[in-house]
Amino acid sequence: MTTMTKPGEFAEDAAPAASDAFLSVRDLYVRFSTEDGIVKAVDGLSFDLERGRTLGIVGESGSGKSVTNLTVLGLHNPATTEVAGEILLDGQELTGASNRTLEKLRGDKVAMIFQDSLTALSPYYTVGRQIAEPYVKHRGVSKREGRERAIEMLEKVGIPQPRMRVDDYPHQFSGGMRQRAMIAMALVCNPDLLIADEPTTALDVTVQAQILDLLKDLQQEFGSAIILITHDLGVVSNVADDLLVMYAGRAVERGSVRELIREPQHPYTWGLLGSMPRLMSDVTEPLTPIPGAPPSLLSPPPGCAFHPRCGFTDLVGGGRCATERPELPDGRGSACHLTGEQKRSVFIETIQPRLG
Amino acid sequence: MLRFLVRRTLGAVVILLFISAFTFFLFFAIPHDPALLSCGKNCTPDNLRTIHHNLGLDHPVPVQYYHYMVRIFTGHRFSTGNCPAPCFGYSFANSEPVWPTLMDRLPTTLSLALGAMVVFLLFGLGTGMLAAWKRGTTVDKVFSSASLVLSSMQIYFVGPIVLALLVYNNHILDQPKYVPFTDNPLSWFNGLLIPWCVLSILFTANYTRMSRSTMIEQLQEEHVRTARAKGMSSAYVFFRYAWRGSLIPIVTILGIDLGSLLGGAMITEYTFQLAGLGRLAIDSVTKTDLPMLMGVMLFSAALIVLFNILVDAAYAFIDPRVRLS
Amino acid sequence: MRLYVRRTRAALVAVAAGALVLTACSSGGGGGGKTTENKDARAKQSKSAQQLASQITFGDDAASKGPAEPVPGAVSGGTMNVLERDSYTHLDPAQIYVSNEGQLATLIHRGLTTYKLDNKGNYTVVGDLATNSGESSDGGKTWTYHLKDGIKFQDGTPITSKDIRWSVERMFAPFVTNGPAYLQQWLANVTGTDYRKLLPDGPYKGKHLPDTLLATPDAKTVVFHFPKAQSDTPYLFAMPGYTVVDSAKDTQAKYDKAPVASGPYEIKSFDQGKSMTLVKNPNWDPNTDSARHQYVDSFAITFNHQNEDSTKRLMSDSGDNQTSVSFDNTVDTNNTPTVVGTPAIYKRTVAGYQPFVGQIDFNMKKLTDINVRKALALAIPTKSVYQALGASYGAEYAGGFISPALAGYQKADPLGKVANPNGDQVAAKKILTDAGKLNTKITYAYANSTAGQQYSVSIAAALKAAGFDVQRKELPADTYYDLVGKVDNPYDMYAQAWGSDWPSPLTVIPPIFDGRTISDQAPNYSHVNDPHINSEIDRISALTDPKQAQAAWFALNTYIETKVIPAVPTVYYKELQLFGSKIGGAVYNNMSAGIDATKLYLKP
Repeated sequence: MTTMTKPGEFAEDAAPAASDAFLSVRDLYVRFSTEDGIVKAVDGLSFDLERGRTLGIVGESGSGKSVTNLTVLGLHNPATTEVAGEILLDGQELTGASNRTLEKLRGDKVAMIFQDSLTALSPYYTVGRQIAEPYVKHRGVSKREGRERAIEMLEKVGIPQPRMRVDDYPHQFSGGMRQRAMIAMALVCNPDLLIADEPTTALDVTVQAQILDLLKDLQQEFGSAIILITHDLGVVSNVADDLLVMYAGRAVERGSVRELIREPQHPYTWGLLGSMPRLMSDVTEPLTPIPGAPPSLLSPPPGCAFHPRCGFTDLVGGGRCATERPELPDGRGSACHLTGEQKRSVFIETIQPRLG
Repeated sequence: MLRFLVRRTLGAVVILLFISAFTFFLFFAIPHDPALLSCGKNCTPDNLRTIHHNLGLDHPVPVQYYHYMVRIFTGHRFSTGNCPAPCFGYSFANSEPVWPTLMDRLPTTLSLALGAMVVFLLFGLGTGMLAAWKRGTTVDKVFSSASLVLSSMQIYFVGPIVLALLVYNNHILDQPKYVPFTDNPLSWFNGLLIPWCVLSILFTANYTRMSRSTMIEQLQEEHVRTARAKGMSSAYVFFRYAWRGSLIPIVTILGIDLGSLLGGAMITEYTFQLAGLGRLAIDSVTKTDLPMLMGVMLFSAALIVLFNILVDAAYAFIDPRVRLS
Repeated sequence: MRLYVRRTRAALVAVAAGALVLTACSSGGGGGGKTTENKDARAKQSKSAQQLASQITFGDDAASKGPAEPVPGAVSGGTMNVLERDSYTHLDPAQIYVSNEGQLATLIHRGLTTYKLDNKGNYTVVGDLATNSGESSDGGKTWTYHLKDGIKFQDGTPITSKDIRWSVERMFAPFVTNGPAYLQQWLANVTGTDYRKLLPDGPYKGKHLPDTLLATPDAKTVVFHFPKAQSDTPYLFAMPGYTVVDSAKDTQAKYDKAPVASGPYEIKSFDQGKSMTLVKNPNWDPNTDSARHQYVDSFAITFNHQNEDSTKRLMSDSGDNQTSVSFDNTVDTNNTPTVVGTPAIYKRTVAGYQPFVGQIDFNMKKLTDINVRKALALAIPTKSVYQALGASYGAEYAGGFISPALAGYQKADPLGKVANPNGDQVAAKKILTDAGKLNTKITYAYANSTAGQQYSVSIAAALKAAGFDVQRKELPADTYYDLVGKVDNPYDMYAQAWGSDWPSPLTVIPPIFDGRTISDQAPNYSHVNDPHINSEIDRISALTDPKQAQAAWFALNTYIETKVIPAVPTVYYKELQLFGSKIGGAVYNNMSAGIDATKLYLKP
């Protein structure tokens, strides 16, 4: 992992106080060099996560949420990526850590669940082997013990007849079963941190619920911290404790699930809520998608990156939204030039009625 | 698997039947009398008739074809000797029995082709994978441009140059020749070293480029990322995950390349004076030696068909998704 | 004999690159075989040409007595590598006709007679199995041979008159289609292949030739009674095609694969298309053989060496190549300048005549006006053929149809083709104009080989300059002779090359100019049928005095060339052969048309 050698370049505010968080990300910058220019995929992101808690990271595609988490594991391409900032896992600095160090962490202390289990599992090896692999590697056990562990894990994630299915190939599993297998694979070493990147997106609703329940149960059993990445606020609201809303590589709002659902502060969060169907709402009520498209990360808009799509820039006035970048305060809060009062009144008067 | 084999074998038989009929009738479509070959100086119409009779050319072509096909299975007693099944007859040109001749030439061609295959797979895949591993570095660039240069090298161009440089002028390597492996493995190796290298040059370059690009493609696959996320080492991921995925396109191309490999072996045998099937094919064409020509055609077609069945079977081995569907 | 390329059967033109040729042999007295240090090829040639007029004598008992005159400096032992282009198709004596098999035959087969080349470069026809070259009586119709003592096959069984009779009789069997037919035709007194009627199944069904034709009064005597006088009989029995077959071990068609040897070497192994190993035949007694030696322990022959390959190997003279030779390959035209220009390599060469004479035939069925043929003959630039064949190392300008390698050769140039190889287009145009034949359409067929394409262009241009309307017609080299060999072929002129079977014009003039032999594939490609030629052929063939016959043949050649003009001669074919530095005794033998295999030894 490449670390930027000129910290001053990015230093915008004083480093936050070190917390007792299990994972602490501070001022993370991730830049890809492409043929068209530099992509600022993550642009000064900070967050903390404690053991046993679940952090939901929400945002549209391209908002930098997946990149952030791949960076935590060091899975980006080092040849084309610049990473700066601080990633502390259980007090251990991960930016700039050697590949060896990271390899030891991956799959053991930190595990990851990917979105599409069909492409994310190798078609060439049996499910059992793929589950056992990290266990054999990190625990140094024999292949037979690995296999036994795989069977145990398959059973744990609710695969019927695991002893028979352990030698099946991924394509012999249904979508839901594959996702369970992937979870089994991620949890095989009892990771302290589990990063689930859109774990249910490819699944139908009932299976979605089962998988999320499974994650919750397993979290209780193992006490892991979970980062749940999704573009679906509905999913996280059921599972997560805290939420982080990302837009154009930056965190724009932060708070507990309760706070964010009840009283969202950022116009982008309002947009996300508005574009989400609700079970209770009137079916005739149209969903209101956020107008416009996510910005190009090659040249993000100046000021607040969301301002070209924001309907409330007038309330701020002075063109501040287009020139001055709003900062996200520590703890509960949002990165928006609207005053606290304005946020509250706009939400209550115009947004909430629409959400029903 | 059994059904697969049965189906493919039936298909192969149909293909071979077609090829045999095509070759046979095409041979007679060319206005050239194979009997002239044995007619020597006393080529009177009488003598030609005698030879036609001796060679069985005095029957209508379809009847000859029928005889040919039946004798493959039943065997036949010719004046030049008894020919047990599988009987492909006797050469028009030198009365050698076709089947034993094929069996005699086969080891040369197989040694040449398979040896060259080992060389080009070793070097082609090796350099290609190294280039993919070191993608974007000088190593990658050197290999990639070298493969471009090499892929324009022809056997009949490189062969004589290599001979002149390493054998005739500097005596660094042995004169190419074929010594059976069972006679002397070292001589076998020394004798075929130059032909292997020359024959494999073109292929090596192609396989370098192809394995590089498929490896790079594979390294971007999500399941490869998953493997890395599990903490598997880079080498493990590279060789177990990405490599496994690259095998399918590589094996596919290898199956297609067998024909050109045999063709290349033909030119190589000619260039280095090795008596193999390719050499036999060229000779039998120029000598209008129908039985030998038919034998070589059918045999090499059968080899190619067999190899393609092996390739298909290899898919099943490589990709479990193919195995079960 | 038609110039005949083994591999493709075509190939007049392939000969330019030193193709193998259908030949028993050829020639007369060309002493040019000895290696010389002479760097000037022309000097080398003219020297040999001067010797060519010498006669080939028919040897008596003394000349036929073994052992052979030792090769100076020769030592015994060792394995010699032989690089050959073509594998041997036939090993059965009765099927042997092409030159490479003829070369092999000199090592493994023996006949009643053979050619002896002495250390001075003189050729003699000597008795081989027989005690002399033949005793004729009854005006040349009866020929008597007595067999030597101590002659044996490789298994030790003595060779008797029964084997000679058997070897002759089996040539009438239908499976023998490839070898020479002179003897059969002489016995049956027919032309073509009608001779088979004399003994349709050969000796295999119990029938034999009557004593009135072939008598074997005892185990050591063979008497031939020909219906007509045959003064060339000693030459005839020197053909490899008439060497002896073991009557007790005759397997008919299968004998071609595994013949029984009678010469100094026997076949130890033969891998068709790949290699052959010859080892000493322990039952060959040098005291019975006046022509052959047995210096080398074994010959390791490998095939598939193109001329270019063998030349490069022998030029490099590295490792095994030092002990290598080629019986039949010539130096390829591309490497000729280097070979000739490098003294260290040039001293490892021998040169001599191939039995072929090139000519361009005029189709008498189409070109009926002699003025047209005469104009063609005058206009054709033979220089273009000469150069396409590699100039002085591959060819020599020809003044007639009979090779200088034949006995009693008389230098002549009746059409002035040697004096003016560029052709005389002006004179030709005048003849055409006078005859009112200007712009006569000529369809000129040529083989699509490198040489053929090369010389056809300049020939066509010269003919155009002489006032002909020339159409070039390119034919595939592989089937060239099949196409021009048809009696009703649509072409007006085409090249051919003909080689003699023995050093007498009898094997040249009758085959290509006897009008009674015209048929598809017969070598009378010009389809000339001239009563005077035909009657002269009959008259000269019957002459018993060789010198008288030779003079008559040359006179007939001049008559044909100037009065009938069915063809114009172009060049005599020559060849240059290379051998490794440890090869001793290398001499070119015009009779076998190649390096003399029986004289080779390995230098220590």
